[in-house]
Amino acid sequence: MELSGSGTAEPRPSTSLVMVSGINKRFGGVRALRDVNLEVRAGEVHALLGENGAGKSTLIKILSGVHAHDSGTIEIAGKPVEFDSPAKSREAGIAVVYQDLSLVESLSVADNLLLGREPRARFGFVRQRALMARAEAFLNELGIPLDTRATVGSLPFAYRQMTEIAKALMGEVRLLILDEPTSSLTSDEVGILFDAIGKATRRGVGVIYVTHRLNEVFEISQRVTVLRDGANAGTFVTAETDMKRLVNAIVGTDRSASTGRRTEPAAKRELDLSLVLSLSGASNDRLRAVDLSLLKGEIHGLAGLIGSGRTEILETVFGLRPLESGTIEIEGRRWLPRGPADAIEQGIALVPEDRHVQGLVLDHSIERNVTLPRIPHFSRWGWMQQRAAARRAETAVARLAVKAPGAFSLVRTLSGGNQQKVVFGKWNDPRPRVLLLDEPTVGVDVGAREEIYAVIRNAVRDGSGVLVVSSDLVELIELCDRISVIVNGRVARTLSRGEIDDAEELHHLLQMYQATGPGPLQELPA
Amino acid sequence: MTELTAPNVVASSTRSDRRRKILQNLLRGERPYMLYIAFVILLVVFSLSSPWFLSVDNFLNIGRQTTLVSIIAVGMTFIIIARQIDLSVASTLALSGMAAALAMSQINNSWIVGAVAGLGTGALVGLLNGILTTQLSIPSFLVTLGSLSMARGLAMMVTNTKPVIITNETYFAIFGEGTFLGIPVPIAWTLAAMIVGILLLHYNVFGRRIYAVGGNPTAALYSGINTKRVTTAAFVLTGTLAGLAALVLSARSHAARPDVVQGMELDVIAAVILGGCSLFGGRGYILGTLFGSLIIGTLNNGLVLLGVSSPMQLVIKGAIIVAAVAFTKR
Repeated sequence: MELSGSGTAEPRPSTSLVMVSGINKRFGGVRALRDVNLEVRAGEVHALLGENGAGKSTLIKILSGVHAHDSGTIEIAGKPVEFDSPAKSREAGIAVVYQDLSLVESLSVADNLLLGREPRARFGFVRQRALMARAEAFLNELGIPLDTRATVGSLPFAYRQMTEIAKALMGEVRLLILDEPTSSLTSDEVGILFDAIGKATRRGVGVIYVTHRLNEVFEISQRVTVLRDGANAGTFVTAETDMKRLVNAIVGTDRSASTGRRTEPAAKRELDLSLVLSLSGASNDRLRAVDLSLLKGEIHGLAGLIGSGRTEILETVFGLRPLESGTIEIEGRRWLPRGPADAIEQGIALVPEDRHVQGLVLDHSIERNVTLPRIPHFSRWGWMQQRAAARRAETAVARLAVKAPGAFSLVRTLSGGNQQKVVFGKWNDPRPRVLLLDEPTVGVDVGAREEIYAVIRNAVRDGSGVLVVSSDLVELIELCDRISVIVNGRVARTLSRGEIDDAEELHHLLQMYQATGPGPLQELPA
Repeated sequence: MTELTAPNVVASSTRSDRRRKILQNLLRGERPYMLYIAFVILLVVFSLSSPWFLSVDNFLNIGRQTTLVSIIAVGMTFIIIARQIDLSVASTLALSGMAAALAMSQINNSWIVGAVAGLGTGALVGLLNGILTTQLSIPSFLVTLGSLSMARGLAMMVTNTKPVIITNETYFAIFGEGTFLGIPVPIAWTLAAMIVGILLLHYNVFGRRIYAVGGNPTAALYSGINTKRVTTAAFVLTGTLAGLAALVLSARSHAARPDVVQGMELDVIAAVILGGCSLFGGRGYILGTLFGSLIIGTLNNGLVLLGVSSPMQLVIKGAIIVAAVAFTKR
């Protein structure tokens, strides 16, 4: 892999603030980073792009002292540095603004800005007026319009983020790292955030800006570095590149070769043209008039960025979010989801996004987890039929090839892939009419991923309809009969197989819709 | 689907698995044996140091003394497995006892009316605890801290802090002084509560749901479990058992007093935690709770027999509870 792609700006070491060269990092057998280089200059916004798993987070964690790198060097202002803890990284002037902010919500903006370095009077009393004055002077100097007296918890998310950025800048910060800061912001709030970033760079701070949204790259960054499969896939001057080149760098042209994955699209199958699920005009706090149809035996993908509303569509159908207007029909009958129990009763199943938090009781056995959604089926007059439950769990373990000592093994002791199979096992029998999948293969190794694909294909062969959300576009192309693009809480477009066969194209499309907003709604087949 | 079914292998492993599972049901917990060892050590120490300790009469005595804690601890086991806490149990006991005695004195002096009033009052307090906790999303620590105070206050208000005398002989016989199959009835009621608890927790749908709600409330919700209803039911169960304990206590003392068993909730919680329940939810078992309350009862009894002063008893009891939890925690 070349170290710098076409359009590389000539590095000028004299002005470089942070110089990362030849970084390698291994996690067990996985090479997370391979000879990665990155240079950030003072006063520059440097965008960092790449798909999930490309190595962005690992690189950030190395810079912030969370992980140690195996080889390679990091220099700050020409001096080599070594971080063995987040505190060391902070001391060197690197501040990371994570999505889950590190603010005390019950305190005011000023209190948060000066937390731990409050101006004090004798006996440790805080000089409240001096504190307010100092915070106010600082914000004025930066030109950030924040009310220092407001309680952080009462602020909209963008303002909290600004507080966080301001807090980071109060110290001796030279490099500010923002990890997908806009994923839960409205477009107005994004503007506010960008202003704050501009204020920071004018003070000579360098910014690494991690994002999935390419339009933001063109709005805010001066340069872009793309990572792919843990290695550099090019560094570009933003003004000299375009979206197509960036997408090519992100997706790669040799994708199938480098990852060993088949990218051949799902075989065209004869679909039974009866609807199992349809949404029309479905709206609530996160969805805006979603129209969607799911056929019997169909795998229907939902593509969209994080925060686009794709997960919320699944949650609404599963009764976790109230439907405010619009209708949902199950096999042609109108149905208003009243809650998960109601949805399960209708034959709807959900494999949620976060299996540790939403999918599994980790300290309980496979048997307990697998029987959880259908406890009444394993009981008579309220008393558990332990045998039936055990038999069911053993069948699930065998049929899904869960690698575990037995059905009574604790779920915590299993690998990620096997845990995910247990989540599938909850919905294995009886076959669900509608199977909702949210990121079904995240954190799952390649072998288990293929097995999970087999489980999904089996489910549709048995007549289930599958609605699958995934950030992995190759996965969507490989699995789905149709793909709906979700933007800002609505379906921007539904594509049939044949209209799109290629992850790169899909990536372009997503970025285009993200930049321009959802287009006119398309007619759905059937 | 990967057709990897090997039915024979699966079937043959089933039986031993199942037997192991039944054992696990009874002895659930990370290191349950520590609990039994602690109990045996206590027995040995007291037997060696007091000639009166090792006798049938004394053990019956311990059983009677631990009755109230043991009965309520069955309910508290459900509550703590479901990641909740109930601080109001002692006050609920006092209020239920007053309700039972007053109802009897007002209506026909009937023991049935007394029993229904006592159990019903307990259940009602539990229901309110449960509804406030789940519907208003107030932490149960705060809800039951409030009801601890309110139930005690109500118990004192109804008679202006005066005790209510009970005269029904049948009531005494059923709940306090009779024997059932040769077992003193307070102990028989404790055993009954334990058996119901074991059946509900380990063999009933309700128990499955309690474990799931405590083990991971979000996953339970995503699996279609009505977590609020399940949690509320645990509070109702505990309140009802506090009512049962009130019947036992008032039948033994031939009266209901509004100021009884103050602070007993701490003994109940200590018994449940000693018994291997995790305060983080999702783990625990009734038999452990039984041993937990026996340890507390034995401590109380043994220290008295040894002639330890009552302030010193408190210190020793507290230290032993902390040490035991430190050893048995996961």
